Parts: sequence; structure tokens; C-alpha cells
Amino acid sequence: MTTVISIPNIYIASEHYNHLFNIWYEITQLPQTHLDIALDFQDCTFLSHNGVAFLGGLAHFVQSLGGTLEFSWDTLHPKIRTNLAQNGFLDSFGFEQAPWNGNSIPYRIDLQSSRTSVIDYLIHKWLNKDWVSISPALQNAIAGRVWEIYDNAFIHSQTEIGVFSCGQHYPQKKQLHLSVIDFGIGIPAKVRSLTKNLSLSSPQALEWAFFPGNSTATPDISRGMGLHLLQEFLTENQGSLKIFSNDGYIGIKDGKVEYKQQRINFSGTFVNITFQCDESYYRLASKLPLWDEPLF
Amino acid sequence: MRYKIYDITQEYATDADSGQQLYDLIHPQLIADNLVELDFTGVTIYASAFFNFAIGQLLKDISPDKLNTLLKIPELDPDAHSILKRVIDNAKRYYSDPQYQNAVDTVLEEYAASF
Repeated sequence: MTTVISIPNIYIASEHYNHLFNIWYEITQLPQTHLDIALDFQDCTFLSHNGVAFLGGLAHFVQSLGGTLEFSWDTLHPKIRTNLAQNGFLDSFGFEQAPWNGNSIPYRIDLQSSRTSVIDYLIHKWLNKDWVSISPALQNAIAGRVWEIYDNAFIHSQTEIGVFSCGQHYPQKKQLHLSVIDFGIGIPAKVRSLTKNLSLSSPQALEWAFFPGNSTATPDISRGMGLHLLQEFLTENQGSLKIFSNDGYIGIKDGKVEYKQQRINFSGTFVNITFQCDESYYRLASKLPLWDEPLF
Repeated sequence: MRYKIYDITQEYATDADSGQQLYDLIHPQLIADNLVELDFTGVTIYASAFFNFAIGQLLKDISPDKLNTLLKIPELDPDAHSILKRVIDNAKRYYSDPQYQNAVDTVLEEYAASF
């Protein structure tokens, strides 16, 4: 028996992420016999990049549960269909339609850590010269910080179905967005796997993960700087970040950090990161190290 | 001894494995009081995992003073320098403060034992 799920409009506001988590939750509550799912887009006239990445991952998630997820392609609004063709989503689901360059930054799946391929994607597809007016040094700095998100997903999430990404350039806002999603155990669950953190709520666990030096990785090596460096970079350079993981949320915007409790306990991590397209927003260029100071 | 990092990492010095590879090369040299110079020419992107393993863990058994004398990293990209500096500060705290290290390692060992 096929279960039909209707997809609403998906924008980049927090409540629209919650629409996606509702869909995920609805699926996790279905009996095994109802896991043949069709997504209906009749009520959807806008599907942002976060929705694209999430729904792509959701198809693989349902498969991992032993079900199937089909997109009712004939219900797609023509504009959304064009967008899904342009960003390669259709291509990845078997349509013979090669993606092309536009404001959508390609949808991609990484089944395992593919450092070179991901960083090439960030540099050449996301931080594209056509819409980003920044120096190569700044481009590299951003790519390095964003890589930390992928590195975390690959190393810590225990995802069995990979990591899903999609981005968007918003020319009027002069912003670049990127969503990165895994359907792993979630950052708070990983943090709570350490005995001393058992009592932490999900927002507290996220705060712990962002604290410099805190890491759930193997002992004996000092680590735990990646998320903190990312946070610092975003705060200094007018970037923003949303992370939904389990039932925790961290938002970084305008230099402020906000932690919140989420209603749905999503098993995985959904990151959306935003950068400005213009170098004038960045402090990096004017921030030179004190070379005379000893390094150690 | 001079090491060309590009030969290990290519353009992207971002992962722990490459960092460990570099550590395995330079640690014996530094222990033997030999001068080590790291040449990052051609490397464009950096992440903390690389520096944690390549440089941060040198502080396990080599003092900061000795590293300042023996390890040279000329012309490092300013952004990479800022990441490295933060990694070193974190490593100094981790390896020099037994209380801090014990606290972190205890929870990590408990975690490992839970499997």
C-alpha cells in the first residue's frame, strides 16, 4: 500500500525546517507495510535548497528502512521541476537530464568522506566566481571552515546512507546558502555517549560540542576546534548558521548564538550555512597575524 | 630538514591522516634536536584536524620553547596561521594541564569502553 505525503512550500525559515522534520517523523511512525511512499507536490510552489537536500536524503533514508520513496514528478510545479533539473536532482534520480549552471548549487550525495571532491565542489560550484566577489584567499578560508561541517558528518554522525548537500545563490540578498544533511545519530546523541554528558539536554549538548577543545573523537590527541573555529569565523564575518540535530537547535546570526529545544527529535543533523557574497563584509583581509610572536 | 607539505596533502591540508603522516616524519627529527622547516607552498586550504595531528600533538612530549627554536614555518598563509595558532593554544592546554587532559581522557575512555 502506498502512503502519499503532501509536500508544502519549503523556504529557509525555521518553521519550514520543522515541516521537513514533521515529514521525517511521520515516516518513522509508519508500519513496515506502509513504507512505500509517494511524495506529492501539488501544494508546493516553492522548494528551497534545504528542502531539495532533505528530500533527496529522505529517499535514501526510506530505502534504508526497507521501503521505497517515489517523487510524483507529474505533480511538480514547472518552476520547481526546472530548478531540480538545473541542480542535478533529477539527474541523480535517473532522469536523462544533465544539470546546468545557474543560481542553484548542485545537489550531491557523498556516501563516504571524499575530501577532494567536496572541497572542489565548495570552491568551484558553491563559491563560484560568477556570483562571489571575494579573493582566492578568502574563498579558501571559507571552504576550509565549511569543510569542518562535512568532516564532522563523516567522522561523527555514523550515517549509513551518506551526506546530502544542496545550495543556492540569492542574488538580491547577495547571499550564498548551503545545506548539509546526514541521517546519522545526531550531535547531541554523540555528545551524550560520553558518560559525563548523559544528563545534558540537546541544546546543552550542542553548546558542549561548540566549546573549544571538546570532542567525542579518540583520546590522546587534542581536538575539538572545528566547530568553534567555524562559529568564530561566522561571527566575525557576518555569516550565519542553523543546526538542527536531534531535538536541539543552534543558530548563529549577527554575532549572536542561540540554543533552543526542538519539538521533534530528528535522528541526524541538518546544517544550513549562509555567507555574504561580497568581501567588504569580511574581516579576514585586514587581520594579519603577529609574525614576531612565538608560535608555541 | 625541510618538508614540502604539498607532497603529502596536495592542495588541501584538511585531514587527520595527512597530519599524522607529517607528524611521523618530523617528530623523530625534533626529538633528535634537528631543525625542521615546513614549506606549505602550493597548499591552499587548511582545517583543524590536519594541524591537530601534524603539529598539536608535538606538544605531548616536546616543550613549547624547544618547538619555537627547532620548528620553522615560514610564509604560512595568514588564515592558516590563525587556525594553527588556535590549535596550538588548545594543544598546550590539553597536554600541559594534567587535570584538563585527565578530565577529557576519562570521558573518552569511558566512551571507548562502552563499545
